[in-house]
Amino acid sequence: MNYAYWLANIPGIGNRTIQQLLARAGSAGELYFFSEKQLRGLALLGDAEIAAILESKRKNTEQEYMKLCEQGISFLSLEDEAYPDKLRNIPDAPYGIYVKGKMPRKNQKTVAIVGARMCSEYGHAVAKKLGQQLAAHGVCVISGMARGIDSEGHWGAIEVGGMTCAVLGCGVDVCYPASGRKLYDKILEKGGILSEYPPGIQPHPGFFPARNRIISGLSDVVVVVEAKAKSGSLITADFALEQGKEIYAVPGRIYDALSAGCNTLIRQGAGIISDVDDFLKELDLCGEREPYQENFTKLLLEKEESLVYSGLSLRPTSMEELLQSTGLSMPELTELLARLQQRGFITETFKNYYIRRI
Amino acid sequence: MYSIVSTAIIQGIQSIPVSVEADVSDGMPMFEMVGFLASEVKEARERVRTALRNSGFVLPPKHITINFTPANIRKSGSGFDLPIAAAILAALEKVPKASLEETFLIGEVGLNGKVQPVHGVLPMVAEAKERGIRRCIVPMENKSEAELVAEMKVFGVGSIEMLVHLLRGEKTEEEETIFPIEEKESAADEPDFADIQGQKMVKRACEVAVCGMHNLLMIGPPGSGKTMMAMRIPSILPPLDEKEQMELSKVYSVSGLFLERKGLMCERPFRSPHHTITAQGLAGGGVVPKPGEISLAHKGVLFLDELPEFQKNTLEILRQPMEEKKVRLVRLQGSYEYPAEFMLVAAMNPCRCGNYPDMHKCHCTQTSIERYLGKISKPLIDRIDVCVEAPRIEFKELRGDKKEETSATIRERVVQVQKIQQERYAGESFCFNSQIPAVKIREYCRLDDKQEAYMEQIYKRLTLTARSYHKILKVARTLADMDGEEKIQNRHLNEAICYRSLDKKFWERV
Repeated sequence: MNYAYWLANIPGIGNRTIQQLLARAGSAGELYFFSEKQLRGLALLGDAEIAAILESKRKNTEQEYMKLCEQGISFLSLEDEAYPDKLRNIPDAPYGIYVKGKMPRKNQKTVAIVGARMCSEYGHAVAKKLGQQLAAHGVCVISGMARGIDSEGHWGAIEVGGMTCAVLGCGVDVCYPASGRKLYDKILEKGGILSEYPPGIQPHPGFFPARNRIISGLSDVVVVVEAKAKSGSLITADFALEQGKEIYAVPGRIYDALSAGCNTLIRQGAGIISDVDDFLKELDLCGEREPYQENFTKLLLEKEESLVYSGLSLRPTSMEELLQSTGLSMPELTELLARLQQRGFITETFKNYYIRRI
Repeated sequence: MYSIVSTAIIQGIQSIPVSVEADVSDGMPMFEMVGFLASEVKEARERVRTALRNSGFVLPPKHITINFTPANIRKSGSGFDLPIAAAILAALEKVPKASLEETFLIGEVGLNGKVQPVHGVLPMVAEAKERGIRRCIVPMENKSEAELVAEMKVFGVGSIEMLVHLLRGEKTEEEETIFPIEEKESAADEPDFADIQGQKMVKRACEVAVCGMHNLLMIGPPGSGKTMMAMRIPSILPPLDEKEQMELSKVYSVSGLFLERKGLMCERPFRSPHHTITAQGLAGGGVVPKPGEISLAHKGVLFLDELPEFQKNTLEILRQPMEEKKVRLVRLQGSYEYPAEFMLVAAMNPCRCGNYPDMHKCHCTQTSIERYLGKISKPLIDRIDVCVEAPRIEFKELRGDKKEETSATIRERVVQVQKIQQERYAGESFCFNSQIPAVKIREYCRLDDKQEAYMEQIYKRLTLTARSYHKILKVARTLADMDGEEKIQNRHLNEAICYRSLDKKFWERV
């Protein structure tokens, strides 16, 4: 009988109550055998809660737990040795977590990459690059599998064959967002998915801020790539601060709404990622410097190609703007764009909008 | 006493000849009308009786029978009043019977004996001419319309009194009013592409679309000039030839939109229905069917602004007419067919706020963008070959007083390109690049091995479908024609790829 699993699944008994109960009773196993009188004697619980505890003992917890294991989901409680230490040490650590796949290794460095769902191309590119570089150096990338920055971070890690973990605001067997099915499966190949909510629980807006404390809790460093002034990512940063984790932010232009949150964090003293390689060094992961890309690219381009290339940036540029800035005709421009795309220097992000690739 | 008069009813834009027979004989006094009549035709009895009395012809207490032949077609419309009146007058020998021979009559009468205009005079008179009739009597207001049919002697009548004078061969006091056929309004008032500064890419796309008669979709933020651009497309379409003018005029005549105009429809129509339009309004319909917007846009442009706002089932209805170039409505009384050969031009915002993909301005969520773009019907998008982004115009561009090309210059080029296509497709059932059927693509859009290999790469990189691949080839064919090239070149393929339709992957990233 897994008493911890029983304790984590009593309706109406939350994480805080569990902590308080354990402080008095010692362990879940001991608590299980408390009589009604003893429970009342703790002077912690209301009538409804006591009734819920007694009721829950009548359920077949053992069978439920077996079913969970059959699904390949493991349950870890604070009482377990395998429970990640980084998470154990945060205030309000979740009593039980459900894990599908693998957890970061004991001494593995972990970095959270978080940011806006609706991010810019710049954010996409940076998040992916960070994911790749970190995972290539053996770091486990932690994020929330949301669209935008989160997903890009995971994908970056997956692309280099690295380890990545997703923390969900729903049951670990629920794929949210549903469009992230492919990512969900990919993460499970090498990494893991975890959640404090039991399997089958659907996402709820209230779950996400709580989920964010686990993201920061599992990580040594939290990187905010792009965030508006009011963003869920800033909640993650607040938790990280509370938990004593390091915070880094990717700077942006001061008038870009999507960088407002990041720039504020930097002003408040967060670390600044002005260069991915420098960042890796700061994390004691010696990065090998890549040649400065822009010049490197330019050397390979023909005159007209570089005319078009120089008209592009990390912000999507429309074909109309290019026609204006280069003075080329439609057939000429389309030919050059096709060639640049073919060679992998630029990419089309929306129909007839182009950005440079980094 | 017996008499017979020729008239007609309208079905679709076709006219079906109908004869009105009148017989006046002794017997129980009554006025009877037979021959499968709709209720508005049955009411003609009261109108005609009163109108005749008020014009000075009191019906005698005799047995009057009116019959409409052929009896198997339902007679509808209000144009039978004048033929009935003429037939009765002839049967009563108030006017010579011979004067009604070989004469076509149509018109509604009021109780005071005044003749009112009716819809669809043009197709009826045109059809009467084919039957060999050379004389027609129509309401005064419809006279100029009927005169558009060559070799037809047209008389306009304003009242029953005038009709009687005319049939008796007496001179009326009122001189025949002659409407001079007015020259087209000065070209300066017409929308012209020279009015638009910048937007080079959209302009180019418009030209490409018109050259191959491809359907066009413009995507861009509000205020980027999508509507302005669309309104100018008719000005670069080749001028209508006489047969097309007649066909189009018939549609307008049937819809009752012809009264104000003098002369045939000589400019290409531009129809821009509001997005709240119903399926019936768009395709045509009603208990007594009338042409819808797609038929009114025949030979011209049907512009659907704010495409995602249209009801899905309304747009679905466009699919069949777009393939068949006509729309057929089946009703209890029979089937009606209207021509609907139009160029579809649609416009939409990239998202609800219009700023996507500029993430610093766009405040839509991913789901709201998906929902917005997902609203457009996929089968309709599949029928649009050219799709172009219309970005917001910068002030610099707006202020520019660069000389822009006029529509006339563009039109000259379009006429040339369309001629090339017509020559190439002389033996085929289609005449434009956009209409090349899938089985003939290989024949007309031939690529060499290197190009095939290149397109295979593109096919994989852009995850195209067979249909979107074919669309690229058709547009490339048009681009090659615009260059006067026999063979499709690489640059044509590259440009055509830029005009491909909005891929789903762009709003389903990550």
